[in-house]
Amino acid sequence: MISADPELISFQIALVLCAVSTIGYLSSLLVRKVRLAKISTWLLSIASVFLTVKFVFVVIHSSWFLNPDSRDFFSFCAWSVCVIYLFLQFKTKTRVLGAFISPLILLFMIAAAGEEAGKAVRPQNLQSWLAALHLLLTIFGEVLFAIASCAGLMFIMQNRLLKNKKLSGMSRLLPSLNDLDRINHMCLLWGFPLLSVGIIAGVVFAQISWKTGWLTDPKIVWTFIAWIVYGFLLHQRLAIGWKGYRMALFSGIIFVLLFVSYLGVKICFSTLHNFI
Amino acid sequence: MIVLTGINHKTASVAVREKIFAGCQEKKDLLPTLRSIGGVDEVLYLSTCNRVEILASVTEDDMALKAISGFLAKSGGLTEQEAAGCFYEYRGEKAVRHVFRVASSLDSMVMGEAQILGQVKDAYREALEQYSTGVVINRLMHCSFRAAKRVRSETGIAVNPVSVSHAAVELAKKIFGSLDGKKILLIGAGEMAELTGQQLIEKGAQSITVANRSLAQAELLAERFHGEAASLDDLEKILIETDIVISSTGASGFIVTAEMLRNIHHRRRNRLLFLIDIAVPRDIEPAASELENVFLYNIDNLQDIVDENVNARRKEAIKAERIIDEEVERFVNWQKALESVPTIVSLRNKAEEIVQTEMEKASGWMNDLKKEDRARIEWLVNSIVNKVLHSPVTVMKEESSEFNSRDIVAAVRRLFRLD
Repeated sequence: MISADPELISFQIALVLCAVSTIGYLSSLLVRKVRLAKISTWLLSIASVFLTVKFVFVVIHSSWFLNPDSRDFFSFCAWSVCVIYLFLQFKTKTRVLGAFISPLILLFMIAAAGEEAGKAVRPQNLQSWLAALHLLLTIFGEVLFAIASCAGLMFIMQNRLLKNKKLSGMSRLLPSLNDLDRINHMCLLWGFPLLSVGIIAGVVFAQISWKTGWLTDPKIVWTFIAWIVYGFLLHQRLAIGWKGYRMALFSGIIFVLLFVSYLGVKICFSTLHNFI
Repeated sequence: MIVLTGINHKTASVAVREKIFAGCQEKKDLLPTLRSIGGVDEVLYLSTCNRVEILASVTEDDMALKAISGFLAKSGGLTEQEAAGCFYEYRGEKAVRHVFRVASSLDSMVMGEAQILGQVKDAYREALEQYSTGVVINRLMHCSFRAAKRVRSETGIAVNPVSVSHAAVELAKKIFGSLDGKKILLIGAGEMAELTGQQLIEKGAQSITVANRSLAQAELLAERFHGEAASLDDLEKILIETDIVISSTGASGFIVTAEMLRNIHHRRRNRLLFLIDIAVPRDIEPAASELENVFLYNIDNLQDIVDENVNARRKEAIKAERIIDEEVERFVNWQKALESVPTIVSLRNKAEEIVQTEMEKASGWMNDLKKEDRARIEWLVNSIVNKVLHSPVTVMKEESSEFNSRDIVAAVRRLFRLD
C-alpha cells in the first residue's frame, strides 16, 4: 500500500521538481539566461503546490498539528521557504534570488526524505496547540532570516562587482542593490516578530510541561542567541540607520555562524528537540 | 529583379548626403517620378540621417540602376566628380541581403540602434500610401521586418548600452533598481552631463538640482530641467538629499571630497550614493569610492564599459548575419516560386493529392460497384479537376512572358494556399 500513498507520492514529485528547479536556477546563473530561471520559478511553484497537497493529506490523515514527524518538520521548512520566496519574487521581481534560495529548499527536502516517515517526534504528553504554534512560528521566523541572509550574500557580490567598476554579465543578472537591501529589510522586519511570538509560545509550553531543566537545553540556547542577534540587527537597521553593505555583511556572517553552531549542536548534543 | 542603389555614411561625406537628402525632400512626386523611369516596376525610397537609398523591382537592372542613381545625383545637384564613387549598387540576392541588414541595424553607424527599423517602416508606409510597391517589394519589406525582429530577439545586439550616458543610466538602475523618486545633482554643465541627467529623468528620477560656481549659470540650466539652482557653497547640504551626482566642472581641484562625504554619511542615513565624474581633471576624489554604499565612476570607467559592450555587439553581429542568411534564403525561395512553372506544378500536385484522398475515402462504397464503373468514376473526377484547373494554368502560362505574371502567380499561390 505504501506505493499508492498519495502523501508520499506528492512529496516525491515535489522533491524531484525542487531538484530540477535548483539545477535550472544554478545553470541560469552559469549561462546567464533569464529564461531558465523563469522556467525554474514555474517548477518551484508547482513543487510548492504538491507540497501543499501533501500537507492537506497529512492533516486529513492524522492530527499533524499535534504530532508531526521529522519528515513533516523538514518538508514544512522547505514549504515555507518556497512560499516566502515565491511571494518575494512576485513582489520584487528578483528572479535570481532563486539561485540562492532553491538550494536551501532542496536541502530541506533532502533532509526530509532522509528522515523516517511516521517517526513520532514527541512523546504523547507534549502534544498541544501551543507546541504546534511554537513550531510554526519559529520555522517561519528562521526561514525569513535565512532569506534575509541570502539577499545579503547577493548584495555583497553585486556590491563588489560594482565597486570594481565592472558591468559584467554577472552584475547584470543580479538584482539591484536597492532591491536586495529591501528584501533584507522586509525579511528582518517580518521574521523578528514571528520568531519572538514563536519563542514565547515555546517558553510557555516548556514551563507548563517540563517545569525545569529546559532553559539549558543547547537548542533552546541556540535559538535564543539567534533571536538576540537578529534583534540586534533589526535595531541597528531601524534605530541606527544601518543600510546596504554593512547590513548585508553582518546578516551573512551571522547566518553562517548560526548555521555552523546549529550543526555543532545537532551532532554533539542530545537535546529536548532531537527531531530537528 | 530586385535592385538597390544609394549612398550612406561609409561612401559619401555628410555634405554630399545633405545635398541628395534635400533634393529628394523637395520633390513631392518623388515616388511616381521614380516609378515612371523605364523598366522600374516597384519602388521604395528610404532616407535617414546616414543614408539615402532607392529600392526597386525592375525588368532590366543595368539600365534602371543607371537611371536611378543619375536621378539621385541630379536632384542633389551633384557634379559628376562628387557623384563618382558615392553610389553603391546591389542586385538580386545581394540587394535583398542589404535591405535585411539595414532593417536589422547591422549596417548602421551605431550597430544595434533601435531607430532604423522605425525609419524603414515609415519609408514603406509612405510607399504604400503612394501605391509605388507591389507583390515583390511588399513581401521583401515584410520579410525584412521579420529578419530585424529575429535579430533583436535572438541575439544580444541591442542589449547593452553603447553610449556613456546610457551606460550611466544602466549603472544607476543596477544600484537603485527603480529610479522613481531619486534626486539628481548636476555639478557644472556640459553636454554629456546634461544628456545623462535628461535620460535619468526620463527613466523616472524625481528632480534635478544644478550647482555651479556662478549661480546665474546654474539658474539658466536649472530652468531647462525644471529643477532648482544652487551655489557650490551649499554643496554639502544638497548632497544629503541627493542620490545621484553628475559632475563635469572645469575646476582643477576636487569639488567633492571623500572627507565631505564621510561627514554627511550619517545624516544621509547611509543611503546608496552614485557618483558620476565626467570631468577631466576629475571633480570627485577617488578615495570616495572606498566609502560604504558609495559608487564612484569616472569617465574612463564608463568608457571601458561602453567599449566592452561594443565588442560584445560585434560578437553578436556574427550570430545576426547567420539569421540574415536564413531569411535571405527564405525570401529567395519564395521569389523563385513566383515563376509560373513551379506554381503550375505545385497546383497540379495539390489537385492530384485531393483527388487521391477523396478517392480513398470513397473506396468503401465504391467496392460495391463494378470494376469498369469505378474506372469511369475515376475518369470523370479527373476530367472535372482538369477542366477547373485549365483556365488558371493557361492564364499563368500566357502571362509568364510578361512581368505582370508575378501578380497573378502570387494570387494563385494565395488562393490555393500553395505556400
